[in-house]
Amino acid sequence: MKSFQYANALSTGSARDLVGKDGAYLAGGNDLLAMMKEYLVTPPILVNIKSLPGMDKIDSSGGAWTIGSLVTVAQLEDSPVVKQTFPGLQQAAAEVGSRQIRNVATVGGNLAQHSRCWYFRHRDVPCLKKGGDICYARRGENKYHSLFTGNSCISPVVSNLAVALAALNATVVIQRGGQTVKMSIPDFYAPAWSNPQSHNALEGTDLISHVEIPAESRRSAYIQMSEKSVFDWALVSCAASAKVDGGRLSQARIFLGAVSPVPYEAKAANDSLEGKTLDEAAANQAADLLLAKAHPHEHNGYKIPIARTLIRRTLMQLNA
Amino acid sequence: MPSWPEERKYIGSHATRIDAPAKVSGAAKYPSDVQPQNWLYGMILRSKWAKAKVTKINLDPALKVPGIKAAVLAPAVSERGNDVTLRYYGEEIAGVAGTSKQACLDALRAIEVEANELPYVVREDDAKADDAARVWDEAPNLSRANVRQQGDDLDKAFGECAAVVEGFFTTPVQIHHPLETHGNTVSVTDDGVTCWASTQGITSVQQDLATGLKVPQNQVRVITEFMGGGFGAKFGPGVEGVIAGLLSKQARAPVKLMLTRFDQALAVGNRPSSFQKMKLGATSDGKLHAFSMDNYGTAGIGAGASSAGGGGGAGLRAPYIYHIPNFRVSQQTVAVNAGSSRSFRAPGCPPASFGMEGIMDELAVKMGIDPLEFRINNDPFEIRQKEYKFGAEKFGWKEKYKKPGSSPGPIKTGVGLACASWGGGGQGTQAEAEIHSDGSIEIRCGTQDLGTGTKTLIALIASDLLGLTPDQITVRVGDTQYPPSGGSGGSTTAASVSPAIYDTCTKALAELQQQSGVADARGANWKDACKKLGPNPLVVHGRWQQGLSSSNTGGVQFAEVEVDTDTGFVKVKKVVVVQDGGLIVSKLTCESQLNGGVIMGIGYALYEERYMDKTSGVLLNPNFETYKLTGLADVPEIEVYFLDMPERGVIGIGEPATIPTAAAIGNAVANALGVRVYSIPITPQRVLAALGKDKASA
Amino acid sequence: MSDPATPDGFSVSRRSFLKSFGASAAVAATAQLESVAQELQKANAENVVGPGTVPITLNVNGKPLKLEVEPRVTLLEALRNHSPLTGSKEVCDRATCGACTVLIDNEPIYSCSKLAIDSQGKAITTIEGLSQDGKLSKVQEAFISEDALMCGYCTPGFVMSVTALLRRVPQPSADEVRHSCSGNLCRCGTYPRIMHAAMKAAGVASTSKTEVIPYAKLA
Repeated sequence: MKSFQYANALSTGSARDLVGKDGAYLAGGNDLLAMMKEYLVTPPILVNIKSLPGMDKIDSSGGAWTIGSLVTVAQLEDSPVVKQTFPGLQQAAAEVGSRQIRNVATVGGNLAQHSRCWYFRHRDVPCLKKGGDICYARRGENKYHSLFTGNSCISPVVSNLAVALAALNATVVIQRGGQTVKMSIPDFYAPAWSNPQSHNALEGTDLISHVEIPAESRRSAYIQMSEKSVFDWALVSCAASAKVDGGRLSQARIFLGAVSPVPYEAKAANDSLEGKTLDEAAANQAADLLLAKAHPHEHNGYKIPIARTLIRRTLMQLNA
Repeated sequence: MPSWPEERKYIGSHATRIDAPAKVSGAAKYPSDVQPQNWLYGMILRSKWAKAKVTKINLDPALKVPGIKAAVLAPAVSERGNDVTLRYYGEEIAGVAGTSKQACLDALRAIEVEANELPYVVREDDAKADDAARVWDEAPNLSRANVRQQGDDLDKAFGECAAVVEGFFTTPVQIHHPLETHGNTVSVTDDGVTCWASTQGITSVQQDLATGLKVPQNQVRVITEFMGGGFGAKFGPGVEGVIAGLLSKQARAPVKLMLTRFDQALAVGNRPSSFQKMKLGATSDGKLHAFSMDNYGTAGIGAGASSAGGGGGAGLRAPYIYHIPNFRVSQQTVAVNAGSSRSFRAPGCPPASFGMEGIMDELAVKMGIDPLEFRINNDPFEIRQKEYKFGAEKFGWKEKYKKPGSSPGPIKTGVGLACASWGGGGQGTQAEAEIHSDGSIEIRCGTQDLGTGTKTLIALIASDLLGLTPDQITVRVGDTQYPPSGGSGGSTTAASVSPAIYDTCTKALAELQQQSGVADARGANWKDACKKLGPNPLVVHGRWQQGLSSSNTGGVQFAEVEVDTDTGFVKVKKVVVVQDGGLIVSKLTCESQLNGGVIMGIGYALYEERYMDKTSGVLLNPNFETYKLTGLADVPEIEVYFLDMPERGVIGIGEPATIPTAAAIGNAVANALGVRVYSIPITPQRVLAALGKDKASA
Repeated sequence: MSDPATPDGFSVSRRSFLKSFGASAAVAATAQLESVAQELQKANAENVVGPGTVPITLNVNGKPLKLEVEPRVTLLEALRNHSPLTGSKEVCDRATCGACTVLIDNEPIYSCSKLAIDSQGKAITTIEGLSQDGKLSKVQEAFISEDALMCGYCTPGFVMSVTALLRRVPQPSADEVRHSCSGNLCRCGTYPRIMHAAMKAAGVASTSKTEVIPYAKLA
């Protein structure tokens, strides 16, 4: 890593002042330190935000749920109330990395993490996402890359929590220059759909403070699939939630992860399940609609049948 | 003629590893752990070009970085003066040493290197093309074919076959990735050189370090008390060892230079790839009759004549273990701009097994013959035939083997088998025993323990020969000041060391008995006999002798898999290993070697592949994130049956253990699906493609 | 590497504070001292330090480890390069293999991916801290008896992960062991024996199917 100054912030205001134009916030540090070890980013100052007050709790006292951005992924994994109320979110958390990673990884950091594309992460490849001229993955090794994108970069979002939270209709709460800004998960990632250099909507000294999940009595499920059994990035992940009443679904939300720079959703797929009893035919139809616009590259076409299977299995879990 | 004792209490027992307490407590000091006085941190600057002609190198800015005490050019660079061509991403350029890792990081970035990029080629199929950029100007990338043949008319022989099958099997470049990276802590002083080396061959380090530093060999001491794995890649000091020595000389302080994981993937060896086009035929009695193979693979920039079984070329052992009356085998090595290959656990054999055992199954299926019967009918090695029969019963082969693809989906089960063959054997070790009047005994041998259990083996043998217990015996290995052994490779260590320990202990006992006047100084009489020794300890030297070891082992493995045909995910449910290795000296360490071989084989079968990017020329996965090693949750139930053959003496089993695993898994997947995946690793992508479910697009 | 020995600027001023009050007034002054200490700490907390070396104190295995390191030094580097505690190993330096696993407040983390300066004020346990008075822990003994190691380079990390798991879940299922210890890699292939060691340390029986068959007995 390049050398840097270091400070512990005790308020979001001083965190903003300390981080300045080019500094970086340090929470868990898994992603930031990895980027710095490759000299992909060289912030002159790291501001430790783990002492910021009021951002480390899971709270459901106010009806809606708030999860502080400093809550660790392990806390989500271990929480019995999260498992009972949002099983999809708990499952997504349990599959983030390894136990050692989950113990330090924060909700905010997991959502904000940068691309894992091996061209982007390579210290000596000047790829499009880093300001270079071309997307090396498009013409090269793209087995792990996107099926859907609105720009020339084909690196997908890999945050498990993003996909699960998107299915739960969660809101990301950001402190922006002293103001509070809220946006849905799709909006949080939307800039990455159209801008190859973007990972998410965070700008400047923005700091995620919470995630809010509305209390909507949704059933939720999450499944991911990797090349290895455990501790391996998902090839494809799927999160789904819906209200279930007398065996019939309503307000279904299905999202795919690791196939697009945003957690990927298709309104037509969600709508197709409205009022339906969930069976294999309905699940397959939803899958077809969700995958209708998939554009595979030379090496990642196999993600389509995997996605179809995960969509079906995740939906069927809602029924269970 | 010497022979192992009939009564064996510790040899072949469950006695635990004698260095386990040091390892589990963190007390064991590896070459990457030692901290000699005033030690400095060392790092290497590597090429960021796949091919380039260097025009400028300036180390001065590095020397100006605070904390930096030395900066040197890599020997190959300084020797070539103005004519330096770098030939792969990661090739060594220079080294720095300083008082902290951070100073070294800054120093590397301060070094000025300019070069003119040249055309490069990093993938085998690109490198084979007639108009491909040449890795070496003086020769085409594709070597001349090495052809072996037998029989007068191969076409006619194929015509005589009742059935013929063809197949194109491929295996990737595999990287050793021992957990302790390559590296050394080197101290160069006016009194000589001390090198704590992470090595499998202390004398190989001693010799080449002496040459590299231009000092007499007898002034170089190499110490390897512990080391964190080698798998064939750690012989000699490497460029990194010589650089560390040069830095130490310049800085007048010890330098610890360990490679980073990133470096490890690039520059210190790998297993060559293979692209095997094969054709196999048998006569109606199920006997193999005709075989042809055209194989090529890459050994990186280390092109060179293909060699079946060694480092350097990409040759395979073909036609594997089978005696086929009519065959033609043609092998070529294709150079690419990537790190050179090195011997890797059973060189040439895992890829050979994957191809050959795969096409054997294809032929068996075509002829409607049980693959097990087909093997037994064609296997020339009696021990292996028995291993097949025994293993089949333990595995439940007859019950489990069904027609390919007949398992009801979507999760299909299948079974497969494959065999191994390896030489092993070994000679030449010397050792010494030092016995004191208080009964304490130390055995010293200049061999290496890579985690293979050599130290424990020595203690168990000495225990049985002297009537003592392992904790009464101090064992010291891994120092060039001890009597020499050989490098630990080729599964030769046990067979080379064991007879030497036998000889040393037998002679020591005889001398002790003679000096003390005690007729039988073993066991209960030991302390009394030793008391009669004078002030000087008794030091007795011994060496390897005939009659206590041999070579040639077999080995078979059976695998059961589950394949999710909706996702392509392969789960290995069970592996049964039946392995011979002569006399088992340590039951625990033997089982661990076999487990380890299978687990490495699973990685080869399902997860490991080096990716090179054709546009930028870089290695895309120099890490454990995307170069995937078998994990704890990926391990199936492994049943190990070890055939004890004490009459054959000690042989060694480190390598046969990993040879047939990928082949058995490949066959099991084909049996489950009814179609074959011809390439490893068998990823979900490849399974779905084989099932016709992968829709690619331009 | 120079010896780690640094004056802790803050504690020096505390000592001189007490001295100036005199022993008899020390008790009454202590309460006031604590709030002053808290104020000082708060004021210091947002200080910008570095990029050069900074004095830090790490609580390692119950003892203070005082070092002078740059902010960019990781906890693993602090242990391996700035102290004799080389039991934690560097294998990947990228949070992918677990050889550097230490416990922070009883939870396993990758010390390669935690800054040393960010590890202060917590209880750090390394492999060296598991044995009490030279007596190996139950987990360590189980690793020995079950031969859950070969070259040993992954071993400290695995021992830490298994130890942490058993402190949290004293009787884990095999699947729980797999899920919780999959952040540790082994290249030698000791996983099956590690599973046995974990179960043994938990007091759960497990068997492995290994047999030695005299060749002469085969048909």
